[in-house]
Amino acid sequence: MNKKHLHAIHITQDKCIGCVHCMAACPTKAIRLRDGKAKIIDELCIDCAECLRSCPYDAIHTHTTSFDALSAFDYKVAIPSTVIYGQFGATTLPNEILSALRMVGFDEVYDPSAICELNTAAIEEYLSEHPKPRPFITSTCPVVVRLIQRRYPALCGQILPIEPPREVAAKILRTILPRALNLPPERIGIIHVTPCPAKMVSINHPATLKKSYLDGAISIRDIYPQMLNALRKSSDEALMRHLFPETLFSGIGMGWSLSGGETRGLKRHRAVAVSGVQDTMRVLDQVEAGLLQDVDLLECTVCPDGCVGGPLQVENRFLAKARILELVDAAGDRAVVDQKDVSRLYHKNFLSFDHPVPPVETPPLDVDPAKAILKAQRRDKIFKKLPRLDCGACGAPDCWTLADDIVRGTARLADCPFVRSPRKKEKR
Amino acid sequence: MTDRAVLRREFPVKGGDFAKAGVVACRIKDLLKELGLDVGTVRRAAIASYEAEMNIIMYAREGLVKLAVSPRRVRIMVDDKGPGIPDVDLAMTEGYSTATPEMRELGFGAGMGLPNIKKNADRFRIESGVGRGTHLEIIINANGHQP
Repeated sequence: MNKKHLHAIHITQDKCIGCVHCMAACPTKAIRLRDGKAKIIDELCIDCAECLRSCPYDAIHTHTTSFDALSAFDYKVAIPSTVIYGQFGATTLPNEILSALRMVGFDEVYDPSAICELNTAAIEEYLSEHPKPRPFITSTCPVVVRLIQRRYPALCGQILPIEPPREVAAKILRTILPRALNLPPERIGIIHVTPCPAKMVSINHPATLKKSYLDGAISIRDIYPQMLNALRKSSDEALMRHLFPETLFSGIGMGWSLSGGETRGLKRHRAVAVSGVQDTMRVLDQVEAGLLQDVDLLECTVCPDGCVGGPLQVENRFLAKARILELVDAAGDRAVVDQKDVSRLYHKNFLSFDHPVPPVETPPLDVDPAKAILKAQRRDKIFKKLPRLDCGACGAPDCWTLADDIVRGTARLADCPFVRSPRKKEKR
Repeated sequence: MTDRAVLRREFPVKGGDFAKAGVVACRIKDLLKELGLDVGTVRRAAIASYEAEMNIIMYAREGLVKLAVSPRRVRIMVDDKGPGIPDVDLAMTEGYSTATPEMRELGFGAGMGLPNIKKNADRFRIESGVGRGTHLEIIINANGHQP
């Protein structure tokens, strides 16, 4: 595995001042301060971007596909997230936004709402055919998948094995475009436009596919200025496009990026939507304890309010959400996908995972449970010596994590500035 | 070696504290994972301790969940200061419940608690009587049966 691209979130060393904000915000306790700089522990990071949101010094950056990298392809296709429709104010219509994407350099742009609707229909079919286990959990949010792999490995089998719309859309285009354009597949670049850095991770290291069908993910933030320019320059053309719309937007798919949007179109099943990383963890704890078995489908997205709260969008998320809700209202319950087509694709396994989500083991205190128990006892003793201020001065997010790091051999008791006479017992 | 290696923890639980529902079970689950016990054992212990914790929250004034982990087994002792169960056999019947409508509203009280603990345990003992509180002993063997 290419370690360099394991994560989409990185710390800019010269901007990091070594404060404790990101460390405290990290839900998986994946950050430590070493030599006055924040360091991310690769094995623990799930790319949720909580650190990015909390950093006051702009010292955390994301690696998404650069616009220049697109020149490697002869034909460039964009599949934006529906979040994009909420980025340009209350009067800019979806067709104008898609056309602006074309103007900034994509040869073709596909509206994702129809594929989102297709996905909901396929999920409904899957739930009907599989009465157990309950609840199934959606796989759209790559951070949730990574969280479950690491923190809730027993729930891996409950992730509903249908690929999310971005991959399904790319797979469809990957199938039809080479012949339609008479181009070799590798000359066609299929790019997701997204508010989410974790999509980059799911493209580089897919959890359920041998290889992603997407070639990259461009951040909305990076492409926004060019799009805004294009929209300004072309207001006349945009007007024409209003009058002669070429894309039929799906009412069911349009709200997909809002929390609850993935499940809104379900007719025969009970669904619950959760958003935000802390709340997602709280609910997954309950699912792991055997609760929520009366729920068919659990939609989890770690960004607040769903993908519309993604860290790489531009518009404030409340305005974006309000705008998308307007568009959802305008589209109504309009369906643009034929249920029979969905059923055919579904039964061909065209929409399925290549393989189930594999659990990722977090290392226990020791592989030998007897030794692990001794280490846990020692950790309890160390913890009692610590001040329980959770100040972060030692470089760990809280006293308990410091005690844990000490028994795992990655920190020393002397790292705590409050512990007197450090060099007594705890070395190693 | 194995005799020495027993990790003990005590978790007090307050009756009526629905906001903290599941916190103890969750801590137990995380701890067992860190100790490297197999996934099935962890899951069974998490379910059993969750049900026990909920029984305290729903019915008792207060209670104590005591955990003792050795490499081969997990033992969970639960003592509560509650009303006690007048007919233990009846309480062990699936679907039997004395939960109030408010508890059911919250999704609890399906009458599966005690039977579910028994189903997930390798050994289960219950002692209760009116005015004496309820005492449970739950033993889950590592790599034991799966319900």
